[in-house]
Amino acid sequence: MSLPWPAKYLVAALLLLVCGWVSLFTWSALPITAHEALNALIAPQPGSVVQTVVLDLRLPRVLIAAIVGACFAVAGAVMQGLTQNPLASPGLFGVNAGAALGVALASIFISWQTDLLLPGAAVIGGGCAWMLVMLLGAAWQPGAERGRLILAGLAISALCAAITRASMILAEEQARSVITWLTGSLANVGWDDYSRLWPLALIGLLAATLLTPALNLLSMGEDQARNLGLRLGRIRLLASLTALVLVAAAIATAGAIAFVGLLVPHMARAWVGPDQRKVIPLSMLLGALLVVAADTLSRGVVYPTETPAGAILALIGAPFFLYMIRARS
Amino acid sequence: MNPALRTGLILCFAVAAAAAMNLQLGAVNLPFTAVLLGLQSGHENYFIVHELRLPRLLLALIVGASLALAGVLVQGVIRNPLASPDLLGVSQGASLAAVILIALYPEVSSLWLPVVSLLGALAAAMILWLLCGRHASPIKIAITGVALAAFYASAIDFVMLTRPQNLNDALLWLTGSLWGRSWEQLWLVLPAVALMPLAVGLCQRLNLNNLGDDYATTLGSAVPQTRFMALALAVGLTAASVAVCGPIGFIGLMAPHLARRLVGGRHQRLIPVVMLTGALLLLLADLATRIIKPPIELPAGIMTAILGGPYFIYLLKKVR
Repeated sequence: MSLPWPAKYLVAALLLLVCGWVSLFTWSALPITAHEALNALIAPQPGSVVQTVVLDLRLPRVLIAAIVGACFAVAGAVMQGLTQNPLASPGLFGVNAGAALGVALASIFISWQTDLLLPGAAVIGGGCAWMLVMLLGAAWQPGAERGRLILAGLAISALCAAITRASMILAEEQARSVITWLTGSLANVGWDDYSRLWPLALIGLLAATLLTPALNLLSMGEDQARNLGLRLGRIRLLASLTALVLVAAAIATAGAIAFVGLLVPHMARAWVGPDQRKVIPLSMLLGALLVVAADTLSRGVVYPTETPAGAILALIGAPFFLYMIRARS
Repeated sequence: MNPALRTGLILCFAVAAAAAMNLQLGAVNLPFTAVLLGLQSGHENYFIVHELRLPRLLLALIVGASLALAGVLVQGVIRNPLASPDLLGVSQGASLAAVILIALYPEVSSLWLPVVSLLGALAAAMILWLLCGRHASPIKIAITGVALAAFYASAIDFVMLTRPQNLNDALLWLTGSLWGRSWEQLWLVLPAVALMPLAVGLCQRLNLNNLGDDYATTLGSAVPQTRFMALALAVGLTAASVAVCGPIGFIGLMAPHLARRLVGGRHQRLIPVVMLTGALLLLLADLATRIIKPPIELPAGIMTAILGGPYFIYLLKKVR
């Protein structure tokens, strides 16, 4: 489409708003009309059952879906900018699996609870997994083979996923809750999850926005970037930390949602070109849109049972991954 | 004594020892004499030994051997050290078909499972073949297979999570476990046993194939025919084991490499040794799942992934 780029933002934002609104009233056990959903937001009347459902169950869920989507998408965009690898994404580089392992181990073995425990464990787990993948795939060397990196990511993910499942089974969890959580579900989130999620997500998203000029420089190649006065080591560290915080915040709330981080930055780039200053904000909007839409669908696929949103996204994302591999090699 | 023969004998002893331990250890530990007595009907341990542990032990032997054999055949044919049925998505294709059958048509008899998973495995192999063509590099075949496997796996998750009422049945397949298998399942895996001698018949042709297509053709071997037969065998073996145990990862990758280290690449020696190695790996994995924290059991597929993940990384560093 040949719209000017602010108009593209507007289109994405409008779509997101409409999708969020639709998500407030569709596929509910209690019939809610579109009008009632809107009314609950604009003119709340205490005591109304419909409004309680909208404000206390649906609204936090939509907001969390949007934030989680934005986090995964931006984390993917930052990783792709940082590694200069179009296949980089939290799912394929083992960050998701590592973070999930961290969360699982922390929730099993650490009994004291603070708000930062699970995100912290996710940062550590995801960071270790990512570092291992990068080391094994020899990612920093020039001319590194992309396929090798993907296979290293796969091996680390398989290992982390196996340990996660083993530890959850040994901790006598129900099989169903493990699978639901591992595929990424938004079924049981509420306002307290929201209040834990948004500060971290805000920090991560702001940091990513501030990093965009540096990521632009990186896309010219390492030598060029260094000549232009970029401190490579520092930028890498900051960008990696940003991506990790984003993934950790999202995973600690909603579990590992795959393929958003791979898919969305490509969509954003196809739409507004390679400039990271435009790609990253658009990734936020599109990522939020994608996850909100998937979450809405996830309630409707087999109504009244909930299907995790992550399962739907994986079904869309995996063929896209296949297409990417074939297009690039 | 011939060193290859000696390796084979040592492996036989190891498998026998692991098998004996599999019969003895578990939620209830039995001394060896009790195991022997338990094989006779009417004894107090008859149920544990004869009905629970013995069929499971035999299944582990057959499934481990078939997965390893399928790995050797695939690696031998496409001359790719990173290939194995589970990395190429064949196992996941088979189990997707099985999970769909269980979840959507729960009333169908489980005798259809091997047939359906064979169809799934064949479809998965065909899709991979169509996508990659003949002259793809090892890494490209491996990542295409991995991507396909990821797709099938997400489809499996999707089917299972949309049909939660059948989730537990499907879960038994998905996780790659030997838990709760009985004599009934042993009949389902017998086709795999029937396929094993055919693989032995292919030894000479596979050896020639290893020399490269041109040499093999010059020496009188019909290369495309060999390739087709070996791949078909591998798909059949994989499908038969997936139909009873679900996808058990990494055995088809690890066992061929370990066996090649032990006796080298001649298929006459490699094939028996790899079957023993695969059986030994799965026996040990299954044993470990039972004795880590009885009475809870882990799926054997988890143990093989914990072992196989690092081994795969090691291979990845080595393959250039």
